[in-house]
Amino acid sequence: MLNLIVNEWIKIFKRPGTYVMMGLLVLAVIATGTLNKIYDNGDQTVNPQWEQQVQQQITQDQKQLSELPPTAATYKKNLQRQIAINQYRLDHQIPPDNEATGWTFINDSTSLISFAGLFTIIVAAGIVASEFGWGTVKLLLIRPIKRYKILLSKYLTVLLFGLLMLLILFGSAAILGFALFGAGDGSTTHLAYSNGTVVEQSMLLYLIKTYFLSSIDVVMITTMAFMISAVFRNSSLAVGLSIFLLLMGGQVTTLIATRYEWAKYSLFANTNLTQYTDGVPLVEGMTVGFSVIMLLIYFFVFLLLAFGVFTKRDVAA
Amino acid sequence: MSSPVVELKHVTKVIKGKTIIDDLSFTIEEGEVFGFLGPNGAGKTTTIRMIVGLMGITSGEILICGHNVKTEFEDALQHIGGIVENPELYKFLTGYQNLMQYARMVKGISKQKIDEVVEFVGLKERIHDKVKTYSLGMRQRLGLAQSLLHDPKVMILDEPTNGLDPAGIKEIRDHLKKLTKEKGMSVIVSSHLLSEMEMMCDRIAIIQQGKLIDIQQVHDYVKESKQKYFFELDWEQAEVLQSLTISYERVENGIEIDLEKGEVPDMIQFFVEKGIRIFEVKPMAKSLEDRFFEVTAQGEKVHA
Repeated sequence: MLNLIVNEWIKIFKRPGTYVMMGLLVLAVIATGTLNKIYDNGDQTVNPQWEQQVQQQITQDQKQLSELPPTAATYKKNLQRQIAINQYRLDHQIPPDNEATGWTFINDSTSLISFAGLFTIIVAAGIVASEFGWGTVKLLLIRPIKRYKILLSKYLTVLLFGLLMLLILFGSAAILGFALFGAGDGSTTHLAYSNGTVVEQSMLLYLIKTYFLSSIDVVMITTMAFMISAVFRNSSLAVGLSIFLLLMGGQVTTLIATRYEWAKYSLFANTNLTQYTDGVPLVEGMTVGFSVIMLLIYFFVFLLLAFGVFTKRDVAA
Repeated sequence: MSSPVVELKHVTKVIKGKTIIDDLSFTIEEGEVFGFLGPNGAGKTTTIRMIVGLMGITSGEILICGHNVKTEFEDALQHIGGIVENPELYKFLTGYQNLMQYARMVKGISKQKIDEVVEFVGLKERIHDKVKTYSLGMRQRLGLAQSLLHDPKVMILDEPTNGLDPAGIKEIRDHLKKLTKEKGMSVIVSSHLLSEMEMMCDRIAIIQQGKLIDIQQVHDYVKESKQKYFFELDWEQAEVLQSLTISYERVENGIEIDLEKGEVPDMIQFFVEKGIRIFEVKPMAKSLEDRFFEVTAQGEKVHA
């Protein structure tokens, strides 16, 4: 199995396109960093009247909360979250950290995860389909190795590639972030709002958790792309559909969720697990357990389809 | 007689309700070059793909060295090396990297083995060049190398000479001869090029519309006890032929007579004694092609 993964890895890294993708990812981080640096107002000191400001913000939010109609449930919850966090700051004397540090930059870079995801999807979409396209699948499948092993090695390779892209993103964001903004004053705690209470978290732990949780939707969509690739042997279809869903799926689901409760069964209502650790669930009554089960169901359906079709297929092309 | 290397038992393939291969049974012995002949669409490629496991078998079974392809895929395929149509290789890798890919998939292939195979197919000079720079003939040779890495007992070649120039075809033929002679390998070749098959194969199976029509030794096809011989002679002097007791056929520039080999010198002597000038005597080999059309035409009548 290890040898099979080595084979797949070589096939990916012997093509120049792979390096272009990695280069673009690093470039995106650099561009974000440069822009942040340019627009950084340089106001790095903590405002001595911050307590007053925070208090003001709280009263303002509370007023807005009472005026909102009951239909704006999500917005209301976000306000409640903001109030709770600000109250916690007052109670525990933690000034708001509007200061840009390496840590906050790494946190900002989580928005680039979908960019890393995009490249992983491209690899996933091609890894089976292009063997059919090149015609090399014939020589690959007449080895004394069962087909499911070959497909499994391809899937694991895709996951490894995704992990590599995340490491590149995290690594380059860390290096650039600390180089441009420094490590800050050491007050590296993050205030998270979960189940109605505010918790203090270590920044590093928080960031790793955020990266991990944000990667879930990338893993799911990558798996979907891989499935489409194995079932339809068509990498363009796999890339197109997956990227469309990666970009649009979340928004469309949020839109549906405001009106219909069944939206909670959609894949994209469940991919963002950070809604439970730090935020508010999309649909009232959703729990971590529910989302994890939904994700597992989708995950196994995708894999079952991919493996079922691939191992049974007559290779005629 | 040793046990067969490849054995097909009542193999049937149905695709979308249509029977592509219909109850095919035959065996292939060790060291034999077995030809698989048939018009396009007869089911040659389908049969070969079932043997190598690229296509499923609807019913019946295929055994390779005693292992069932369906239930013991890994044990069975270990003995098979194959090229299915044109060998499609990874163009962005070098020849050597391609071979490494396949070497990693089977246990115990050493670097020496790879070098040995490269030497055998004569690609030593170019093995570290990218495959996209290779000619079709070179890719065919690399394909051959790929199939030899794990010392298979059976080589399976689906239309190996498709698109090759005569020199390339001859090269493949020479390689196959060497393999069967030196390593005792069995070879299964499919083709619709009759003359090719005649030169390569020991035994030939003819299939048509998914059915086995005939299976015979090449010699049986081509050589029969009596053969036609062509005598080029001076027709003007040939009134003497009237006195000939055996039947002959008048053709341009001469005659054709059915003779056994031993009778040929007698016949020549007879003409010489009668003072007829003979320019040429040659056997008119009944080609495989003639037999092929005879056999398939009969088959068509059966189906009609």
